[in-house]
Parts: sequence; structure tokens; C-alpha cells
Amino acid sequence: MSYLDNIRNFSIIAHIDHGKSTLADRLIEKTGLVEARDMKEQYLDNMDIERERGITIKLQTTRLQYKAKDGQEYILNLIDTPGHVDFNYEVSRSLAACDGAVLVVDATQGVEAQTLGNVYLALDEDLEILPVLNKMDLDSARPEDARAEIEDIIGLDASEAPEISAKTGMGIDEMLEKLIEVIPPPQGDPDGKLKALIFDSYYDSYKGVIIYTRIFDGRVRRGDTIRMMNTGKNYEVTEVGYCIPGTVPASELKAGEVGYICGSIKQVADARVGDTITLANDPADAPLKGYKKAQSMVYCGIFPAEGEKYENVKDALEKLQVNDAAFNFEPENSAALGYGYRCGFLGLLHMDVITERLAREFDLDVITTLPSVVYKVVMKDGEVLDIQNPSNLPAPALIAHIEEPIVKADIMTPNEYVGSIMTLCQNRRGNMIHMEYLTKTRVQLHYEMPLNEVIYDFFDALKSRTRGYASLDYEFLRYQQAKLVKLDILLNREPIDALSTIVPEEEAMAKGRGICEKLKEIIPRHQFEVPIQAAIGQKIIARETVRAYRKDVLAKCYGGDITRKKKLLEKQKAGKKRMRQFGSVTVPQEAFTEVLKLDDGR
Amino acid sequence: MPFCVQKCRYCAFLSFEAEGSPRKEYTDALEKEIKLRADREKENGTDRPVDTIYIGGGTPSVMDISSMSEMVKTLKRSFDVVPDAEVTLEANPATLGRKDGVMLAKLQAYRFMGINRLSMGVQSMDNDRLHYLGRIHTAENVTRDMDIIRRKGFDNVNLDLMFSIPGESGDDALRDLDKILALGPEHISCYSLQIEEGTPFGEMADSGELIEVSDEEDRETYHRICRRLAEAGYEHYEISNFAKMGVDPDAPSPYRSQHNSLYWNMDEYIGLGLGASGFLNGVRYKNTSDLDEYLSALKEGRLPVAEEHLNTAFDNISEAVFTGLRRREGIRYEDAVRAYLDTDDLQLKYPVSAEEFRDLFWDIFDEAEEEARSYAERGLLIIDSEGLKLTETGIDISNSIMSLFV
Repeated sequence: MSYLDNIRNFSIIAHIDHGKSTLADRLIEKTGLVEARDMKEQYLDNMDIERERGITIKLQTTRLQYKAKDGQEYILNLIDTPGHVDFNYEVSRSLAACDGAVLVVDATQGVEAQTLGNVYLALDEDLEILPVLNKMDLDSARPEDARAEIEDIIGLDASEAPEISAKTGMGIDEMLEKLIEVIPPPQGDPDGKLKALIFDSYYDSYKGVIIYTRIFDGRVRRGDTIRMMNTGKNYEVTEVGYCIPGTVPASELKAGEVGYICGSIKQVADARVGDTITLANDPADAPLKGYKKAQSMVYCGIFPAEGEKYENVKDALEKLQVNDAAFNFEPENSAALGYGYRCGFLGLLHMDVITERLAREFDLDVITTLPSVVYKVVMKDGEVLDIQNPSNLPAPALIAHIEEPIVKADIMTPNEYVGSIMTLCQNRRGNMIHMEYLTKTRVQLHYEMPLNEVIYDFFDALKSRTRGYASLDYEFLRYQQAKLVKLDILLNREPIDALSTIVPEEEAMAKGRGICEKLKEIIPRHQFEVPIQAAIGQKIIARETVRAYRKDVLAKCYGGDITRKKKLLEKQKAGKKRMRQFGSVTVPQEAFTEVLKLDDGR
Repeated sequence: MPFCVQKCRYCAFLSFEAEGSPRKEYTDALEKEIKLRADREKENGTDRPVDTIYIGGGTPSVMDISSMSEMVKTLKRSFDVVPDAEVTLEANPATLGRKDGVMLAKLQAYRFMGINRLSMGVQSMDNDRLHYLGRIHTAENVTRDMDIIRRKGFDNVNLDLMFSIPGESGDDALRDLDKILALGPEHISCYSLQIEEGTPFGEMADSGELIEVSDEEDRETYHRICRRLAEAGYEHYEISNFAKMGVDPDAPSPYRSQHNSLYWNMDEYIGLGLGASGFLNGVRYKNTSDLDEYLSALKEGRLPVAEEHLNTAFDNISEAVFTGLRRREGIRYEDAVRAYLDTDDLQLKYPVSAEEFRDLFWDIFDEAEEEARSYAERGLLIIDSEGLKLTETGIDISNSIMSLFV
């Protein structure tokens, strides 16, 4: 019998909130590797932002030891996956490192859009899937319905799916027994040429980049010189080991095992997820399949707010990039906001995470401009430009046409919301491909939509129309020609470049009007009238006016309570700090991100 | 004196309906507080002569004459009150007695206690609006009260006027003002109604039942009132306060409220009673606003202070500026800088020339200067070699300007 027979490499896949992280916690606790007192809730989600949102973005991997009922000791490598549509590629690489997956379905909710999306990713990696019904401690659990949905929608046999409660620990042992039975042991040749998949990496200030890897063939030790097969870079291995969790050094990693490798690597971009590690002096013939360079789908400008230093922002962005290969940035100069950076993200959540980390971990005050997608601008001379910053759009006379990115959006919803979702998607230029009844009450809608329409507040709008029941999954499909124009916003007759957007021509009028109205709400009154105008080229298409401020005076003096008056003035002053000055017009910083949130429940 | 006959619908001040409230316990506690405070000042060697006394509310005139008299006696016994001190009593119309005889006797008692200034919350001379506000009096009450007050020889009377009451036009407000002017008060306070959260008006505004007068109308009315009062011979000496000119038109009015002027001059004052604020020996303090807590603190012989803050040098100059800017004469750099330099822990050399005071002032408010100058360019603020003052239009946005200096 080979050592491989006692190893199981698996992921947990689930829709957001279905209890994936709680289950991971319970497994870690159960297998005794983390003391109960060290258990933070949801051990694997180690970033505050993730913890707050209850979602996993950055993967963590853990080696569990389990003594099964057959008397054998098993090594269970739990490879956690991020749970959001922005991180599909990372999910797919994590899954590629596994031989099977535990599919967690919330027995109170049933199958959701991301459940399906993740199952498909797992099937693409040829993984055995063990369905598990979670939240069985709740009165609202309806395991039979959930089983039926798993069978009808996903097509997996769920008759023997363990019923568990990750929260209370109920059914966990049965689940582990089933896991060993259903998920196959890894295969591979420990004496073959080294082929190891990077499925995650993060930067540690002492050890450099720590690569999480699954060894498919061969072995790797300290002192070996490794090569990244896709980037071609060589490094000397300084340490290998297991993630228990944390890093525990070992003498070597060999085929079938999961662990980490360090090699004085300076930034995570040099150890890209999906790349294959081999030995420099004895390389494998070909890398593992599936490597992709991270592609930024959404861009926005990040500028230092009033009083914040440019260098501080630069330092922080650099530090974030060290740990996030999917995040990139370059300097940008805005007439309105000064020097800052144009940043690229995988998607909106990724953008939110980065901007929140800037505020939270680096205590930075930044202005984030409207998110934008990458347009392909085909010029009359045949040149094709990638434009993601509306300010860089060439003059209309030089452009032959513009193409915008289209995504495939899958929306799963209880059937009573189909009507309002269809209206929403129609308003967002969505094109329905088809619609299917997954069960009697659950519907999946397949749309093709411009990514531009998804990135503003589509997800919020979807949730608010369906009381949170609908779920969304999307991926890039293709570029498609569209009639797009640049919409400029003028404050006090001065164009504000950071407020320019690219919009469909037919919607320019409505959008311009909407933005002007929104700005009228956001911009405080001044001592003079402030005209707000929307323009396409030289043509003004909408106008609003912020009336002049007439009154800001307190008549009373509160019987000598000077402190009360002072607090009011201090509050007023603090409010003003969040403002940005454009000539003589003061604009609150949130204007730059709030202005396109035009959803009014249509 | 946190008691009223009934609470007005706009009022966010601390007050209880007098009927059924522990008024006797309260005045007993207040007397204890007066003594405690005075003893402490004497022990610290910080006792000073008292130039003004202001008995405010609530409605002090709903208190029993006997309690009031005891309290004023206690004040005079405990503190060194100067013989010609300004002693103001807030008295609402229709609270001084129904019968002329009673009223005359009450007023006589007040005079006897040394009260020499009365401040009346008239608010409006229109009975419908008075009713709407939740006031208990009528315009006729005001006229009669004023007549008796004058007969009793009170020659320093303030009347409060409120404008921008929902549904009221600027013309209505000016008519009210003319009726008040006809009564010939020495001092008039004019306030626009502020809708406060947690009041019946606040709730009505939230539900849309009450429509606030627009800012534009409010400010227009304010400026009309200012003009009308100037014509009538009143000195506009503070944002909301107007005093009848004396014989010398170039001298400050002798009828300015000396007590309120303390607040705007960074002078110290002792606050006594429920929720009262004081500024003493460089410390801003505020008494508890919880009546039970107030009573039990004094029962146990403790001062009922809830908040205390020792002002820093910057607190002092900042307060000197924003309170001082309420005065039409504005602030002098020298006074503001002195408030800064006089803070105990500070050992800096005094400037000697006006220029040095000015430069030090703007050093301290370095960050505010650019914006202050832009207000000056727009005619809202006057910045000269001696100091700063708001223009009449600057008053409209005075908070924006003051907030530069906090």
C-alpha cells in the first residue's frame, strides 16, 4: 500500500453564507490541530474585511489528521477556495490541486447560482463531489427539498449526503468517514520529474513569498533550485513544509502532498497562481494545464484625499501588490484630483476589498473614482486602443467604433421575482439568452450584459428587488461593438475629469440627468449658485443648480453652554474635511463613487 | 429653574411641567449647591465679586415667591454680589399673576429681592401663532403685563420675538415686531424658530405635517427686522440681540445685557441648577441634567457636576473667536491672543505691538487664514489690523465662518 492511499486532497465549495468557513473551522477543531482558545471564528478567513462580510477571498490551506474508523490515520489537506465571482480563476486553481470537493448546501436555502458555478468548476477539474447538507440544526432546514434540488439541478446523487451542522458539530464524523470513502487518494510518481501547482501565495516579511502548492510528481527539498515554468524564473528553495495551519517545516514535499515552499521571492507576482514549479536542473517536459495571467476587468482611480500624501498612497499600493498578483496600478494625473493611481481589479468586490484595506490597514484617506471597464477603441486608421479611463478617450472624429466587454450573467431566483429581475436586466441593456425552471419554484436566467452595467450597483439592485434571494454569477464573454459616448460633468462651468463616464449614446440623456440630480443632492450649498451640467462634447444635455446657501446661523446661545455650541462647530468642520475643493466649489468625496448609483428601484 | 406651566411645542430645553414636580426639593437642593460652590471658591481663594445674576429657565416666574426670595438671599449671602449688579429674571407673560393686585405685589417682591431686569418670552403678538407654538399666553396678556411692569418701575425689560414660525410671512413677523416696539422695551432678542429633534415640532417636520420657512425667507425677514430695529433706535450689538440707544448715539447702549455679554467675552461665570453650564478657573463644566441625580448629589453634599473640561490654550482662543464673532463689534486679535496666552500652563512672551498680536493670531490659525480671507473677499467678514468681525450678510452663514476657528 502506498503512502498516497492515506492522503485526501479536497476543497469545500459553497455559495456565500452557506457555511463553508464554519465547516472548515469545525474540521480544524475536530482534528485537534488548533487549540480551541486559538480558534477565531472562521479560522480560514483571516482578513478582517472577509470576516465582516462573511466571505473568503484569500485562500488558506490546512493539513488535518484524522483517525478513521478503519483504524488508519489519514492526512486530509483542506484547500479553501474564495467564494466570490471575482475570483473564479483562483477557485479553479485551488480545485485543480484537489482530487475531490465537499459541496456544502444550506439545507434552509437549497442550491444557489454560485453553488452551481462552483460545481461546474469542480467538474471541469474532474473532481469527485461529496454533497453535504448544512445548517441541519435550524428549524427551517428542509433536507428533502435540498436533496431533491441537488439531484434535479446539479445531477448528483444526494441520497446519502451527510446531514450536518457546521455550527454545532453535528454529523462531522460521519461526513469525514464519507469523505475518505468518496474522494479518491491522489496519484503521482514521487520519483518522477517535479511538477507542482501553485494554487496560492502570500508575502511574509521574514520568509518572502510563501507558495502554497500541490505536488503532482517528483519531490522538492530545501536547497533545490526551482523554476516557474510559465514565467521562467529560478529560485533557490529555503524551506518546505506543511500548513497545519501556519508553516511547519518538513524535510521534503513529494507527489500527492500539499504544502508550502519558500525561496526568497520578493513579490507574489513572481509566483503566480496556476504556474507550475519544476526543478531547474531536471525540468518536466510541460507545465500543468490551466495557467492564466490575471486579467483586470474593472478599473478606477485612487487619489490621495485632501491632506493625504501621495507617497503614502504609493507605499500602501505597493505593499498590497506584493500580496495580490491580480491587483495592478500605474500613475495617473487628473486635472480635478491631482496625482494618483489608476488601479486594475478582478471585479467590484476585489476593488472594494482593496479600497477598504487602504483605509483600514494603512489608515489612508483616499478618493475612489467611478469604476470603469476596458473599452476597445477602434480608430479610423485601424489602430485598436484599450481605454479604461474615460479621460483618455480620443476625439469622436478619430474613432471608427468602440467595443465594450460583455459578460455572461447567470441569475438564480425564486420564481416570484422573475418579472422584476427581467425589468432590471432590460434597463441594464441585458439580453436574455434563455430561462430555465430548475425546480417548480426556482428559476435560472441567463443574460448577456455589458460589464459596464454590472459594475455599478447591479448586485445591490438585484438583492433589493428580490429581498436578497437572487444570486448572481458572471464571467467575461466577449467584446461587442456599441454606440458609446463620453459624458462629461461640469461644475460651475468647469469640467471635472474624474466625473466623466462612458455611456451608451441612447442613455446619455437619462444618465446625464440622473447624475446632475444626484450631484445636486450631494453637493452642499455654497454662498453662490453652482450650476451642474452634463455634456457630450460641447453640447449640454442636462442641467441642475445648487441654490446658494442662505443660512447657517445659530440664533441661540444655549444659556452659556459654550461647549455645546463648540461641538456643533467642530462637527461642521469635520464634515468639511471630507470635501474636495474644485476652484470655488466644494464637493464631498463620496460624490465620486456615489454619483452613478442611480438605482431608484425601477 | 427647569419648570414651566407647560412645555412649548418647539422647546428642546430642559424643563418640566411645574404642576406635580418636586419644586420645593429642587430649590432646597439649589440653595445647597449655591453654598457648596461658594465655600469651595473661598477655600480655593478664587472667590470674586459677582457683577451679574441671571435667573433663567424654564420659567422662573412660576416658582413660589418665598422660595425665590430665599434663593436670592442665599446667593447674596454666599457671594460678594456688587451693589449695582444686573439681576435678570426670566418671566413669561401670564405667569406673574391673574389679578393686577397679585401681580403688583409679586413684582414688588422681585424688586425687593434686587431684581432689576426682566426678560419676557413674548415670541409673537398673534394669538393664533402663540397657540400654535404651545404658549400659554395671548397678545393681550403681554400688553397688560408690560403695563403693570412699567407701573412697578422696572426700567430695563427685554422682550423675545420669534420669527420664521411655520405659516408666518415676513410681513407677519414685521407686524409682530411693530407691536413689540410699541411696548417700548429697552432690549429685544430676535430668534428664528429652530426645529429641534425630539420636540413635537421635530416630529411634525419629519412627518411633513410642518413645513419649515425656507432659508431664503428666513434670512430676508431677519434683515428686515435688523433694519426696522435700527430705524427704531436699537443698537444691533449681537447676532440676535438689540438694545435701545442711550442719549449718546456714539456710545454703546446702556441696555446691553451685561450677563449675556460675559459669554461672548470669555469672562467666567458660575452656573447653578439642573443642567446649568459654568466657566470657572479655566474649566468649562456642566451640571447633570437628570433631576433625580441632581437632588441626590446635593443630598449627599456633592456638587452635581456631570462634565468638566480644563480648557487648553487653543480651546480658549477658539472660544474667544467664535463667541466673540457673535458680537457686531467682533473680536480684537489682542483679546483673543490674550485668552490664549493667559492659559495657566503656557509660558510665552506677550506680544507688545498690535502687529505682533495680529501675526501671532494668524500663526495660531494658520490653516484658517486662506479661507477666512476668501470670506472677506466675498464681503462676509471684515479682517482689519485690529481684528475680525462679521458683516450683516456674514451673520447668515456665521457657523461656516466660526467653524474655521475650532
